[in-house]
Amino acid sequence: MEADLATRDVTVAAIGDTSAQLSLRDPDVRLMIAVRDDVPGAFEELVEAYQHRLVGVMRHLIGNASEAEDLAQETFLRVYRARKKYRARCKFSTWLFTIANNLALNWLRGRQRKPTVSLPAHDSGPLGPRPAEQLVVARDGSPSGGLRREELADAVRRAVDGLNERQRMAVVLNKFEDMNYAEIAEVMGLTTKAVKSLLNRARTNLREALQGYAG
Amino acid sequence: MTQEPRLSDDDRAELIAYLDGELDEAAARAMEARLGRDAAARAEADALRRAWDLLDFLPHAEPSPSFTHRTLERVTARHAAAATGMSRRRRWGAAAGWAAGLAAAAAAGFAAVTLLVPREPTDDDLVRDLRVLENKRLYEQVDSVEFLKALDQPDLFGDDNPEAGG
Repeated sequence: MEADLATRDVTVAAIGDTSAQLSLRDPDVRLMIAVRDDVPGAFEELVEAYQHRLVGVMRHLIGNASEAEDLAQETFLRVYRARKKYRARCKFSTWLFTIANNLALNWLRGRQRKPTVSLPAHDSGPLGPRPAEQLVVARDGSPSGGLRREELADAVRRAVDGLNERQRMAVVLNKFEDMNYAEIAEVMGLTTKAVKSLLNRARTNLREALQGYAG
Repeated sequence: MTQEPRLSDDDRAELIAYLDGELDEAAARAMEARLGRDAAARAEADALRRAWDLLDFLPHAEPSPSFTHRTLERVTARHAAAATGMSRRRRWGAAAGWAAGLAAAAAAGFAAVTLLVPREPTDDDLVRDLRVLENKRLYEQVDSVEFLKALDQPDLFGDDNPEAGG
């Protein structure tokens, strides 16, 4: 009995240490703990800090700007709703993208069940092309340069859309979130080996789909 | 430089892991050595890298300027809705508790009235107990049924009967 208690104390201490170490290493863990403790302004700060990454990932995953914003918002709402249960067991971004992964996969599966009209890859939402996109076209200086870029964007969008949901998620996390295989595995609930295999198939498919453009 | 056979699926997975910086030092060195001597593997690595770089052409999405504001509004709205739902559930819970209490009290009252308050006998009761009613006056003279049974013994008065001698 005493041995059990001692073991439990050691475990609790270890979890506490991990949590403390994580909050020292990861400032976003500290921010999330402030959200959990209802510190005024903490949630707003969290949204400000992660909205660009989250909307970007969602956009790459589902290809539609307004749906991507809705899903990113829903992810933040889930974070807020689950804040009281938050325990710092991993990097905050890993936890956030795990929630985002679940939402996005559900959305993508739901979309497969109903027909939709997909927007072109260069769609930038209701306000038209953003200044950064216009700059890229202007830098080239020729209409054909802009056309080439749009054509490429469309081809890449189609290639990404051709991947299955899990391959797409792994590619987006690897390419745009710079996550390594172990982090992707944690977000997607897979083994590292499975992620390696997933990315192998995904990148092989991308290479084949983009063969004519990658010259 | 020798031409090695086309990459197998495992080899390609290893190559991609190398490109992603996921191999340990020994495996990475082995892959570099292979890339140095195998033109097909080099071509495959180049093609994979170029296709990967093309993903940069995907439009970069920025959240709309009101994103934070709208998100906070939605959080507040949901929070308020959840609080309203909870207080409604609490009210319904209290009302249900009162209703259950009243129903239990009514059932207990009915049972008490049924069991404790005497009721008027029905015709069936009178027919069943007719013989008892007819002899009611006699039964009132004795204390118990045992006494009546004792009186019914044939030999109870036998020896003392003056008419029985002879």
